[in-house]
Amino acid sequence: MDTATSTPPSPADALAAVAALRRLADRVEDDAVARALAEGWTWSQIAEAIGVTRQAVHKKHARRQPKGD
Amino acid sequence: MFERFTRDARAIVGQAENEARGAGARSIEAEHLLLALARGGPPALAAAGLDHEALLAALEAEEAASLGAVGIDAHAFALPAPAPTVGRLRFGSSARAALERAVRAATRQRDGRLEARHVLLGVLAADGGKVPRTLELAGVDRDRLRAAV
Repeated sequence: MDTATSTPPSPADALAAVAALRRLADRVEDDAVARALAEGWTWSQIAEAIGVTRQAVHKKHARRQPKGD
Repeated sequence: MFERFTRDARAIVGQAENEARGAGARSIEAEHLLLALARGGPPALAAAGLDHEALLAALEAEEAASLGAVGIDAHAFALPAPAPTVGRLRFGSSARAALERAVRAATRQRDGRLEARHVLLGVLAADGGKVPRTLELAGVDRDRLRAAV
């Protein structure tokens, strides 16, 4: 996409894009965290890579993982 | 909030949670209420061509269009199908607003009972967000649909 010449989206379209991007980001995060854990990453390493606290990433994802902790 | 809900209306709300959970959503939103309504809810939805499958496709098309507006191709990410959400889901702001409008629509009735069609009216009356955008993209006349409910 040629962003240099295209007109910016309307506020309504841009706001809908923000909502869709958040949903997409959640899905990318869920998948990436699951694969990192499968490769043996620790919660601390994952947290640092995302830029959030270990507690935050653990709270968000521990329940989704087969092994729990 | 749910005291005046009929059994059918309660079933719609329960099914909306299933729809959200199955989609791996973080919260129950208006589109999940609409998906629940499309599974044997008020006949006006099916009459407008919106059965569950058609609605799912329309919601996905809207998601792709919204991402496309900022240059993102959702299919560029080789993501697995979302895993169902674990644990209890909360109502997101769009679903709460829809249910509040449903309650207001029901209180205008003589017996004040909140039926599934009031939930549908509440969902369809949104000013903006995922549901109105999806219906517009799918070529559904929202005012006509509301009149038919």
